Amino acid sequence: MIFRLPHRIRLVHIVVSCLLCLGFWQFGQGAYIPAKAWVAQELMQRAWRRTEGGEEKAAPWPWADTFPVARMSAKGGDIDLIVLEGGSGRTLAFAPGHLSASVLPGETGNTIIAGHRDTHFQFLQYMKKGESILFETTEGRKHLYQVTGIDVVDSRRGSLVLDTEAPMLSLVTCYPFAAHEPGGPMRYVVTAQMLF
Amino acid sequence: MTEHLKRRSHWRWLAPAMLMCLSLPGVGSAVPGTQYDDLRPGQMQSGTLLMRMEAGYRIATRMNTDIELTVSGLVARVSVQQKFLNDGPEWVEGVYVFPLPDDAAVDRLRMHIGERFIEGEIREKEQAKKEYEKAKTEGKKASLVEQQRANLFTTSVANIGPGEEIKIEIEYLQNLKYDEGTFSLRFPLTLTPRFIPGSPLPSRKGSGWAPDTTRVTDASLITPPVVVESEDHEVTLKATINAGVPLEIVASRYHPIDVAEVDDGYTVSLMNNMAPLDHDIELLWRPVPNAAPRAMVFSETIKDDPYVLLMLLPPNESTATTVVMPRELIFVIDTSGSMHGTSIDQARRALTLALDGLKPTDQFNVIQFNSITHSIFPQSVPADANRVRMAMSYVRSLKANGGTNMRPALEKALRATTSETHLRQIIFITDGSVGNEQELYRLIEQELGQARLFTVGIGSAPNGWFMRKAAEAGRGTYSYISALHEIDEKMQRLIRKLEKPQITDIDVQWPDGLNASSYPLTVPDLYAGEPIVVKARLENQPRPGDFVKISGNSAGGSWGGEISLADNGSSAGVAALWARARIEKLLDDERRGTDPAETRAAVITTALEHHLVSKFTSLIAVDKTPSRPQSASLDKEQVPNLLPYGQSQKAIFGFPATATSAPLNRLIGAVCLLVGLFVMLCLWKRGSPHDFSSAA
Repeated sequence: MIFRLPHRIRLVHIVVSCLLCLGFWQFGQGAYIPAKAWVAQELMQRAWRRTEGGEEKAAPWPWADTFPVARMSAKGGDIDLIVLEGGSGRTLAFAPGHLSASVLPGETGNTIIAGHRDTHFQFLQYMKKGESILFETTEGRKHLYQVTGIDVVDSRRGSLVLDTEAPMLSLVTCYPFAAHEPGGPMRYVVTAQMLF
Repeated sequence: MTEHLKRRSHWRWLAPAMLMCLSLPGVGSAVPGTQYDDLRPGQMQSGTLLMRMEAGYRIATRMNTDIELTVSGLVARVSVQQKFLNDGPEWVEGVYVFPLPDDAAVDRLRMHIGERFIEGEIREKEQAKKEYEKAKTEGKKASLVEQQRANLFTTSVANIGPGEEIKIEIEYLQNLKYDEGTFSLRFPLTLTPRFIPGSPLPSRKGSGWAPDTTRVTDASLITPPVVVESEDHEVTLKATINAGVPLEIVASRYHPIDVAEVDDGYTVSLMNNMAPLDHDIELLWRPVPNAAPRAMVFSETIKDDPYVLLMLLPPNESTATTVVMPRELIFVIDTSGSMHGTSIDQARRALTLALDGLKPTDQFNVIQFNSITHSIFPQSVPADANRVRMAMSYVRSLKANGGTNMRPALEKALRATTSETHLRQIIFITDGSVGNEQELYRLIEQELGQARLFTVGIGSAPNGWFMRKAAEAGRGTYSYISALHEIDEKMQRLIRKLEKPQITDIDVQWPDGLNASSYPLTVPDLYAGEPIVVKARLENQPRPGDFVKISGNSAGGSWGGEISLADNGSSAGVAALWARARIEKLLDDERRGTDPAETRAAVITTALEHHLVSKFTSLIAVDKTPSRPQSASLDKEQVPNLLPYGQSQKAIFGFPATATSAPLNRLIGAVCLLVGLFVMLCLWKRGSPHDFSSAA
């Protein structure tokens, strides 16, 4: 008994410190992802100003493999996001990503932009039909879109059309917003039509 | 005792928490990684988009295709076997939209269930659909082959049991192409997703990715889902070629093949046995130079009616002189999103070659179209060195994106102000990935005037029907470019055809008393190297001494030739091909304004008589005995097609992963910390420092 007790306490001790370490690490991860998303947006706002200054495809940081393609704002300016090119996980960590197979904002066709439900595109759950989304292209043109539809689709069966006759916009994020586990099949799609 | 229990309950808490932590690295890395990116050629990853998105889901119905074909004379009989394998636990209905050659005469369906098979029967389309639906609800196995477009068909198979495989065998006849001394045969294996113009309609007929629209009312039937890579979409090929003459070479354009010489010809198979269904197959064979046939006649007699197929190659001399008339060349290039990938590279290169071949006396213009139409010059300009250079740099800068809005570009090219002195030739470079074909054929016919339209099909799976019919309506010719290595050869051939005068006013005189009904009714103009091909049904058997007289005009003067009908080889399939040509003519006439009801009746009569699938008739096979218990439900699954090689998508199938692991990280972090702190607290409360000291 005398020999076994300290042994057991030591085991408990190790488990507890492991738990605490893991806990801090996980918590840190949980805080790091939104922090990265926020810092990246700040850096990109700067890259955007450089793009406006005439620099072509200005990378937000020297080693970036993507570039800003548009700036979007919604909710009366409360939401102000730079959109990057490409829909890879690497890009989405920093900004909403414009899927390269789709057209750019302002062009005829469907513009598809994807974003994370727990960072940049969290606000999509509060968007309502009739609300507007403003886009600014790298050339400085402004395009206003109005939300015409909100759908929840099953990504295993659904698809998004790329060719449309009028300029359209699809903002895609994961659904449900409150879910903890990533990787679910459902997607929340906000569809908008271009007004000008 | 109570203390003992208490301590144990701590452990009970710990175990799940630890398990959670252990499983963590897996969760974290599986989530936001580069699961999805838009696809560019060369970076396609394994697994399909549909299947990759979610581990718990996969398409249960799988597909493999075996092709067997026999060539004799000018006709190929092809058997396509599609194996539908149900991997899932449910009963399913498999639906597969697939392409066939645009002149295929589909005349046979067989449904193989284990050792048995059921022969398909021809019915009017609605009747067939009704019988199929009935069998489906009764739990009987049934299969239905329907035509959606001249080159687009659908196979539906009802009641495939869990783990079961059903083999559907479809047979068709096809004409061979004979051009510049080479025979060729093309099999489309997948389809380039089509551009669907018009505004959406409220209801839909099928389950494709596009809704039905005002301008393409059956869009949902012709837009099957697409997968980027799949191990299931594979094809095997076994071909037997009995050319009847000694051959110099048997080759395949895009796939490596094995060729073996046998008693009565050659057999061909794919070298690595299987090829993915993402690129058309094209077989070529060329007779040794002095054995190349200049005239051929084949016949078949069905129910006492003789049918003949004849081919005549005009003498070379008549096409020897080059044209003196200056030309106005309008190049129209498709820069829509479907051309993205290798297609646009091919198109750019082809166009550069064509520009290179311009003569200073020519006039030219370059028009590009996607969602919008744009031309480099407001109207055609003389092809001086400076302007050609400008055009070349314009072509180099072309990028592919947006829709395939073909109509305005065609209108612009066709309606350009006519020049009296120049012969206008329009070279139309596209993959033809449109759903509103009929509308475009009508436009070409109405606006053509003295111009000529030549189509150049680009990409791994161009819409062959569009290429042929648009060129036919435009009184030009069509060619395909599906790989970078063949651009030079094919463009040179096209340039030769554009430069040499064509043979016009071709007249075919049948001997008296045979009452031939022949197709095509008016033989189209011939370009250098092309033969005249005519199919006819005769009322009486031709007698010895019966000759068909053929004459025509060319820049080099008029010429005439005759072929004896009496000494001909017999060839099965001539009748069906004649019927197929007749149906096509009837439908062309409908576009030009004949009564749709009359057309329908005539098409149905011909199709039923010759057992052919058409716009208004389908093949159906139904098993007698039900196999699905009425208690089990039936799932419908659309079998996806493989995205053509080097192609980018028309719609997004599968979505990017748009959730981070942050909330999960925070949750797990919080649980770990709470549990850790709680245990620490318990140990501390129990006066564990005491224990520690005793241990020391």
